[in-house]
Amino acid sequence: MSNDHRIPASPAHQGGRQDDRVSTPPGLYTIRIKGRLGATGLSAFPSMESEVKGSETVLTGLLEDRSALFGVVAQIEALGLELLELRQVRAR
Amino acid sequence: MTSVTTQRGEHLQQLISSDASVAGGLLDREDLLEMLDRAVRRRVTVISAPPGSGKTSLLRAWADRSTDLGRVVFVSVDRDQQDAQRFWEAVLDAVRGPARSIGPEPQSAAVAAVDGDQLVDTVRSALAEHVEPVVLIIDDLHELRSADALTQLEQLLATLPSSARVVLSSRRDPAIRLHQLRLVDEVAGIRASDLRFTEDETRELLASSGVGLSDAGAAALHQRTEGWAAGLRLAVISLSGHPDPERFVAEFSGTDRAIGDYLMAEMLQRQPSDVQRMLLRTSLVDRMNGELAGVLAGRPGAEQMLLELEEANAFVMSLDPQRTWFRYHHLLADFLRLELRRTLADELPDLHRRAARWFAEHGDVVEAVRHTLAAGDRPAAARLVADHSFRWVLDGQAGTIRDVLQAFPEGASADHPDLALAHAAAELNRGRLEEAAAQLELAESHVQSAPPARRRRLAVAVASLRLALARRSGQFGEVIEQVKLLDASVRDASSEPIAMSSELRGVALLNLGIVETWSGRLADAQRHLSEGAALAQTIGRPYLEVACRAHQGFPSKLVSVATARERARQAVALAERYGLEDRPIVTPAFGAVGGMAIWMGEFDEGERWLRRAWEVASAHVDPAAAVLLHVATGMLHAGRGQRRSALDEFEAAAQAQSLLTGAHALAPRITGWLAATQARLGMPDEARATLEGFAAGSDPRGAGGNARAVILMAEGDSAAALEVLRDVRDTTQGVPGFTLVEAHLLAGIAHLDLGDRSAAAAAAEAALAAAEPDRLIFPFAMAEAADLLDALPHHETAHGALLADIVDLLRDGSAPSTDRERLSQPEELSPSELRVLRFLPTNLTRPEIARELYVSINTVNTHVRNIYSKLGARDRSSAVQHARELRLLATGRS
Repeated sequence: MSNDHRIPASPAHQGGRQDDRVSTPPGLYTIRIKGRLGATGLSAFPSMESEVKGSETVLTGLLEDRSALFGVVAQIEALGLELLELRQVRAR
Repeated sequence: MTSVTTQRGEHLQQLISSDASVAGGLLDREDLLEMLDRAVRRRVTVISAPPGSGKTSLLRAWADRSTDLGRVVFVSVDRDQQDAQRFWEAVLDAVRGPARSIGPEPQSAAVAAVDGDQLVDTVRSALAEHVEPVVLIIDDLHELRSADALTQLEQLLATLPSSARVVLSSRRDPAIRLHQLRLVDEVAGIRASDLRFTEDETRELLASSGVGLSDAGAAALHQRTEGWAAGLRLAVISLSGHPDPERFVAEFSGTDRAIGDYLMAEMLQRQPSDVQRMLLRTSLVDRMNGELAGVLAGRPGAEQMLLELEEANAFVMSLDPQRTWFRYHHLLADFLRLELRRTLADELPDLHRRAARWFAEHGDVVEAVRHTLAAGDRPAAARLVADHSFRWVLDGQAGTIRDVLQAFPEGASADHPDLALAHAAAELNRGRLEEAAAQLELAESHVQSAPPARRRRLAVAVASLRLALARRSGQFGEVIEQVKLLDASVRDASSEPIAMSSELRGVALLNLGIVETWSGRLADAQRHLSEGAALAQTIGRPYLEVACRAHQGFPSKLVSVATARERARQAVALAERYGLEDRPIVTPAFGAVGGMAIWMGEFDEGERWLRRAWEVASAHVDPAAAVLLHVATGMLHAGRGQRRSALDEFEAAAQAQSLLTGAHALAPRITGWLAATQARLGMPDEARATLEGFAAGSDPRGAGGNARAVILMAEGDSAAALEVLRDVRDTTQGVPGFTLVEAHLLAGIAHLDLGDRSAAAAAAEAALAAAEPDRLIFPFAMAEAADLLDALPHHETAHGALLADIVDLLRDGSAPSTDRERLSQPEELSPSELRVLRFLPTNLTRPEIARELYVSINTVNTHVRNIYSKLGARDRSSAVQHARELRLLATGRS
């Protein structure tokens, strides 16, 4: 917490930080998840439309920025779901 | 930087599984345990696998079992840990302490603001200290969200003591560079594929859980779950007591639902409705006991349900051996919270309010604030903070204040003047005095508009912070003024509860006493601090009591050096008893014990205590306490004949003194010793300038007179020096004992220079006589009086024992011999020290080095001091030379 005691980040970490500043344009994303999600699981992704294709769940939605995108990915991880594909369909 | 958002669900992604407990019924996975046995032969093991893979279960089973590997230390990273300092404190606690339970910690008492780098160094030393090898397990590393902490962890791994091993467990590959270690084959990895259950293990698990399933059924289950540990365990819960296990497996295999999602829904559905009700509503909190669970569920019997669920191994685990606190497996907790939000959204604000009320009643204000915020009531949350700020200040709970402020969204404080008090306290703790003053201003203006019932409480908090602020800024006069005002107002408010008055009175006495200490009014200080400490003890405020006692270890006309030393030692013991010995407020006690030891010629002992003092003194220690430490450290160097380092410290002391508005009691001494040291180093002009710069309140008969004598003697005018010294020596009143000793010694040396051996012997005898009562040995070392003492025939002195001790010290304790000894076996430099060391061959000044490294000047000073001491160097150039000899400047590590 003590900002005045920040040690210089290693190049690897600095890379990450700089990348954050270059904002990802908002875009339409599709995310394929293994298995069909029930109502509870789907409620974890309120900002996305869901569709069942075979034995997969496909989430589609407009994600505002990188934080929104990683928020969805983290949610997938937290619920123990298997991420099959993540794709930007088009930039807005 | 806020870790909790108002909508509970929004931060679900931050929740992480730490896998299941190892309660009964779990499988001992021998192959995996052996794999880990092999892995920890390497220095670093990285376990990286998704939630529910069985990472924590494996680690716990392994930690419980392995005994031949030495001590196993287990640290779980707190959820969403963004604070590097907190993280390292947890690691350090675990490494130092006996094996600790994972039970709920009491609301974390606050922490000394030591910086992360120093903590890492301390962790490294603690790991090295253990005779038996230590395996440090850091679980849930993915929760660590501080880039600083990760960098520091990387450094720790790169410089791990040879006997230590580290196991990192994370959901993802940690962002830590390990290639150096990989090159030397010191990294082992365990991944999801290694953690998967085999088909045989699946059968074993079913059998040990009493589930009767055909071989084909078991194979199908294994295939469907892909050996995922959490999936298998969820299935087992549903299968236990299932009327038709084969059908369950067939349905599960036939559906294309996601595994965890399906199994958790199944498990929840199979619970009786009151259990479902309890599970959903209690998922709101991270940890619960029976009472809290009952409050949330709105029905009795919650504790019994939790116990039964734990026994059934249903992803509920108790956190303490008494089984009173519980939490859910993270996977389940996430699922339950989603379901709660989906099906009972209307109830959420009310549930949060209930939780907030319960936490507030049970003293966990941080959680109460979090839930009040989650209920959407920001003003109420801010009020809670304001009403508790004074208590946190009283108890020195800097960390709590930090935590609670972090719970608010960024920028919230502007709308809520109630938060200004807490912000002021936080800024004060970080040494940001201007910011603290601004926040106090805001808080004060808000007090007027608060309803009468709260006004007094807030005013008291503002007053106590004003005092602390004035004291820290060194505005001694202002403190005394404030206390007078406060004294009147405390007396007037007879209707207020006595406790509050006592507490504020305690704070006032503390600040008054500290100010009187530093401005040399020791008798008043003694009275006020004793009264403050007694009061603090009566009202049960240990932090306040320790703070008062920590400032009482100074000698005065009435208090001998030995007594002062004993008092300071008792203050440290008291702090240790309360577990407060690492707080910056204890710094003066450590400094006093060390300083008094140095006065008595016990330099090594003094050094040990000073080291602790510098460790405890955060970078933001009060300038007044910093003055004390610099002076004492300068004395240590001077006593060891390391004039150049002594000069650095006396200069730093003068620098710290200049930050104070009032004059420090040590100021004349600093000026005198600084000038004398400059003169001894052949800088008479600088020495004269130093003395002239100290016009105000200068004392020509005391320290200043002695310094002038040293200058004259350095210039070869010993006769003139004797003239000056006569004034000091002839004075019987108002000259401190040590100044008198010093004056006699300097006179003796001057007489010796002039060839008058008998006058020299008489002066030496006078010095011994003046030194005897308090055993003031240090002046003999500083004055470099060895030759003078040789001139005193030993049978002629009435102080033979003291003389013998001093002669021994001057002969054996002299700097060169210890220096050589140290050089042959140098203590290892910490990475932070190495970073500073790299700059020493350059032309950069210490402040410039501090800027280069993004640390404070005090941190650089601490590191430089440690570098000198570890390398046995007297100054910058000898440190560089020794470092070159030891090839410390050529390793190229960053």
